[in-house]
Amino acid sequence: MTEFRELTLGGISVGMIYAAIALSLVLIWRATRILNYAQGGMAMFTTYIALLVINHTGSYWAGFAVALASGLVLGGVIERLVIRPAENKPPLNAIIITIGLLVFLEGLAGILYGGQFRSFPAAFSITGLHVGSAALGVSANDVFVAVAVLAAALLLAAGFRYTSAGLQLRASAFSPPVARLLGVRVGRMLTLGWALAGLIGALAGVLVSPSTFLYPNSMDSIFVLGFTAAVIGGLDSPAGAVAGGLILGVALSYVGGYLGSDLVPLFGLAALAVVLMVRPSGLFSPAATRQV
Amino acid sequence: MTLVRHVATAAVLAVLLVIISSTVSPFRDYQMAEVACYVVAVAGLTVLVGLSGQISLGNGAFMAIGAYAAALLLLHLHWPLAVVLVAALAVAAAGGAVVGVAAARLRGPYLAGATLILAVALPSLALRYGLLGGDQGLTVVINSPGFLGPSFSLTRWQAWLTCGCALITLVLLANLARSRVGRSWRAARDDEVAAALAGLNVARLRVLAFVVSAACAGLAGALLAVTTSIVSPGAFTVTLSIGLLTAAVLGGLGTLPGAVWGSLVLVLVPTYVTDVASSHGLSSSVGSNIPVAAYGVVLVVVMLTFPDGIQGGVHRLSRPLASRLPAWPGAPRRRPPGPQFRAPASEHQEEGSL
Amino acid sequence: MSEQAALAVEEVVAGYGGVLALQSVSITARPATITAVLGANGAGKTTLLRAISGVIRPRRGRVLVGGQEMTGRSAEDMARAGVAHVPEGQGVIAELTVQENLRLGAFWRRGRGTRAAALAEAYQRFPVLAGARNRAAGTLSGGERQMLVIARALMARPRVLLLDEPSLGLAPKIVSQVMELTAGLRETGLTVLLVEQNARSALSIADQGIVLSLGRVVAAADAAALAADVGLRKHYLGF
Repeated sequence: MTEFRELTLGGISVGMIYAAIALSLVLIWRATRILNYAQGGMAMFTTYIALLVINHTGSYWAGFAVALASGLVLGGVIERLVIRPAENKPPLNAIIITIGLLVFLEGLAGILYGGQFRSFPAAFSITGLHVGSAALGVSANDVFVAVAVLAAALLLAAGFRYTSAGLQLRASAFSPPVARLLGVRVGRMLTLGWALAGLIGALAGVLVSPSTFLYPNSMDSIFVLGFTAAVIGGLDSPAGAVAGGLILGVALSYVGGYLGSDLVPLFGLAALAVVLMVRPSGLFSPAATRQV
Repeated sequence: MTLVRHVATAAVLAVLLVIISSTVSPFRDYQMAEVACYVVAVAGLTVLVGLSGQISLGNGAFMAIGAYAAALLLLHLHWPLAVVLVAALAVAAAGGAVVGVAAARLRGPYLAGATLILAVALPSLALRYGLLGGDQGLTVVINSPGFLGPSFSLTRWQAWLTCGCALITLVLLANLARSRVGRSWRAARDDEVAAALAGLNVARLRVLAFVVSAACAGLAGALLAVTTSIVSPGAFTVTLSIGLLTAAVLGGLGTLPGAVWGSLVLVLVPTYVTDVASSHGLSSSVGSNIPVAAYGVVLVVVMLTFPDGIQGGVHRLSRPLASRLPAWPGAPRRRPPGPQFRAPASEHQEEGSL
Repeated sequence: MSEQAALAVEEVVAGYGGVLALQSVSITARPATITAVLGANGAGKTTLLRAISGVIRPRRGRVLVGGQEMTGRSAEDMARAGVAHVPEGQGVIAELTVQENLRLGAFWRRGRGTRAAALAEAYQRFPVLAGARNRAAGTLSGGERQMLVIARALMARPRVLLLDEPSLGLAPKIVSQVMELTAGLRETGLTVLLVEQNARSALSIADQGIVLSLGRVVAAADAAALAADVGLRKHYLGF
């Protein structure tokens, strides 16, 4: 029974990472109808920047803050410089561009920081927590991961719902021409959307790197699983992204625990395949209308 | 007649390539062979993405299928090379049919995601089954055929073999693109609903496109196995699949000459950049990453400045001459070809619509 | 001030790519008037509205609002400068609620109180919308949507209102309600440009009208005169 609890709680913690990546993908998809294949690469890069700051100042939280800030900036800059010119071109161009960005960021990281696996500190202790003498099966850091992502998701949701900027962002995502007619500066909103996605991606990066180590390709598999979570939840649904991440994280945790850890990647891919076959629009978005 | 023109062009190119390969070093021969393998794969992919409008991030997996099939047939059954190549092509084509049917309903990023799974999952299958040589892979050795003489350079034979297959593939695809199938693909790509209403079986066309591109990839994989002499999971990563797509887009989506340009870039640019880096005395970790970073930059910059790819640029520059050259199938028109992802239902087609 | 045209369009040429949909069109509209813009499909009516509101940029000519030159400004800027454009097909953002659509109409206006007052005024004027305020806008009927987009446009307290085919797709009874509503807007000092295929209803509430054909003005007169010109009606307006 303890194993079950451990696996569940551990799965929730990892699932939140997938949820964070999924959330950034959904944000960008809703705003610009582009799937950002570079999302993992961006997160990796901002985590390297955080590591630099941590090593330089000795403060984890300084690095944490810098990671988030650079995620914000990186996302905004990428949208403005690289994505904006591609917005009126065929969608395939944007896919190639984000793949190119991914490749560039990984190469750049290799040049600047080298390819070796680096350790990245965790925010809190990674030893298991105990209540009295009973082991809970999670560490303080696991709890922090879950809380941090949840807080970010809730803040984002609140921002979308209750602020003027959030309303403008949603209008720009749903109907750019109409939003323009109402005075919304759609371009700026798109930049904001990408900046927010960059922020959340950066958060995912610093939260997951303690366990995966940091190297140029370290976020590749996280990205694939985050994408899977986004598809499971529905690319149009932020709540679905979080739910999808949790479902995937817990399911994979059970697979790893009960069936063997080498089956985890295959199971993840199988999950994606099943969702795509059965309900491509995801579990939580309204079923896509069929044409004709 | 189109067929005659295509064959004639191919024949001329064949003679040219024979001359080139006979005069250059074995290393260049090897590079020619590599480029030719990729031309076969990229040509199939450019037909799938450019003409049929379906994106695939997983053609590297079909290359793996073809490569492993060829390796196993050569090693265990000792079939003649020509038969092996056809068999590898057929096996990969069958795989393409399966994927095509499974993915027939998917569009846009969902299709990309599904094919991405394929690219990620398939190589790891090789690791599970001992027959496939596991991590180390399988070694494949071929000899230059007897009729060319005992001392005929192996690399030159590999160059001839691969270039010959590439030319044959290009001719066949060129004819296919010009045929009714090609026109149906383009119609379904541009407006699926209209095409269906006009009586085209869109699903079958989509599967057919997958089969064709998988067959090409399978042949390319088999040729690559024979050229590099080794077939291992590490040779068929997601990076390869992405590289193929990149080459297709870079060269000019939907254009066959574009497949050639793209393959040249795919093979030659990384080597060139590494050479430049090491000649400047940069460390190996920096040096090995410079081509990677440069590759990404090239992708982004080309897509932003020349979205029609290299062939689009060539086409534009040679427009005064165009009336005298044969028209290439799928040459860029005013509206860039490419899959059109569905716009969300609430979006009004306000701007730019009459 | 009252003599100055609220909206002046001077020899505007505009189009899409290689096609010129408007070939030198001029209109003048005084404050608190309704100008009907009539003509067959493809005559350039929608293009005219887009050229005024900034969706497309005029190739030649000028657009002046309240005497001020506004040619070539972006749609976002024009909206904030007092030109409201209700596009063809209404332009309801279906995924947002009625209230959110309305709030979007005035989000850039300074002062929380101003915005709150505008919202209250909209609900007072359109009680139907008040009752549906938390429903997704996509669930509204055709007539309700038209009301929503007009209310949303009014949230910005515009000087000029461009209405593109408000009667499209609506039942005749609803059409007359919408026309009545539009006529009432005159009282607030608004200048309305009303594009309509349904020339008869448009002319019934308009002060003046212009008729476009193939991008040119073929007739410009006050509404009564246009309605009385049987030849013109038959030829260009279909009734």
